[in-house]
Amino acid sequence: MSEHTLRVDWPACKAHGLCAEMLPEVVSLDEWGYPIVHGPVSAEVLALAKSAVKACPTLALRLTQPPPRPA
Amino acid sequence: MTLTTETTTLRPMVRNEVGLDPVVSQGPALLAGIAHGPGLAAHRGRLGPAPTPAADELVQLSRDVDLRGRGGAGFPAAIKLASAQRRRAVVVVNASEGEPASRKDAALMTLAPHVVLDGAAAVAHALGTREVHVVVPSELPSIRVGVEKALRERSAAGERLKVTIHDAAPRFVAGQAQAVLQLLAGKENLPVTAWQPEAVSGHKGRPTLLSNAETFAHLGHLARVGSSGYAALGTADEPGTTLLTLRGDGWDPEVREVAFGTPLADVLTAEEMAQPLLLGGYHGTWLKPAQLQGLTVSRIGIAAAGATLGAGVMLPLVEGWCPLVRTEALVEYLAGQSAGRCGPCLNGLPALAEALRDLVHRGGPVGRVEELCGLVVRRGACAHPDGTARLVASMLKVFPEEVDSHALGGCRGGRVEGSR
Repeated sequence: MSEHTLRVDWPACKAHGLCAEMLPEVVSLDEWGYPIVHGPVSAEVLALAKSAVKACPTLALRLTQPPPRPA
Repeated sequence: MTLTTETTTLRPMVRNEVGLDPVVSQGPALLAGIAHGPGLAAHRGRLGPAPTPAADELVQLSRDVDLRGRGGAGFPAAIKLASAQRRRAVVVVNASEGEPASRKDAALMTLAPHVVLDGAAAVAHALGTREVHVVVPSELPSIRVGVEKALRERSAAGERLKVTIHDAAPRFVAGQAQAVLQLLAGKENLPVTAWQPEAVSGHKGRPTLLSNAETFAHLGHLARVGSSGYAALGTADEPGTTLLTLRGDGWDPEVREVAFGTPLADVLTAEEMAQPLLLGGYHGTWLKPAQLQGLTVSRIGIAAAGATLGAGVMLPLVEGWCPLVRTEALVEYLAGQSAGRCGPCLNGLPALAEALRDLVHRGGPVGRVEELCGLVVRRGACAHPDGTARLVASMLKVFPEEVDSHALGGCRGGRVEGSR
């Protein structure tokens, strides 16, 4: 199982900032309130990351894994 | 809104407001037949029927000559073709050319539409589809007229493709792949987040071969002449030719097709070789005059010099202009071209333009410019913020003496270290 990455759907993100409150280990906010994602999501905070994805008011967060190499 | 006193009154032109048509010269491959006009009869008379290789064959040919996409990113055409080689594929010819300093696709579509459409037909045949979309720039309506005429000629000659023409919005980011897919879907022509490459899941979730118009022209030419015929021009590492737009936003724009390996000194004038060069367009990178010596038209060689060939846009600095003032004007334009949908771009690019204006005209801190460059990169649905940051970062890297001089409130005009 490879590492998860938190990806932002930028046009959908409206800078509510819940992700940074729920997952300060991975997300901080820039000067305009938009998330800055710091590195991949470790196993310890994976559950928190999943809650942050669910909590986003605009559903702008996704947990992704590196795609398998295309044939 | 604040009023500012600017240290220079010279405002370099950013966009070709007057819409000057570029001078297009006859080229060695794609533009070889332009003297015979854009019609199908002349095209077929000169070259004969268009070959339709099988998918595996076309992939192999593309691999043999290492054909790269000509939209700017230089992605290998063979990989894209192979990824889209699945059931119910769709072919999209992107001739929208959102970059105002690029005119090569407009030249190709106007003067040699069948060279592009032969490529599109070859790709459609190879992928086993009849569905082709052609995206044209709405600000140049003559291109749509020309493509419609070319398509009528082809269907009268018995070609059975289902081609739809779409008009791209007149803005910088409208030609970005995801924005084009939105346009095809009947939505606003703006970038959205891509969760998968369009070759895997593109138009209506189908595998979509979306490439720049020039890329299709090369595929058609390659299918016709084979890999050894294609490699008769160019170098061993980079076979074939490429289209260049010179001074695309200036008073004497020019489109030229040259073989890879052509010395830059054969493309630019001696005066231009003594000036800094912005390569790759408004999302591009600067090179100093000293770096231009011995350089050839080569994706690999230009990358080794720390720049990008991109979509072949070359903008020599006009003598007497300051590269910082020119960059600042471009960034202001680019900030205005943000679709305004992604927060970091919507807020970051105007802030970056302001910080750069502050640096260039009022000796403001370079640190703020660098900080904002870092804040916008990889934080948007498309690469518009990344390209803008690349241009600014290149300016800081290539012209440190000018940056220092502006920080002290001076401007050395066009006098750049390494010129003359």
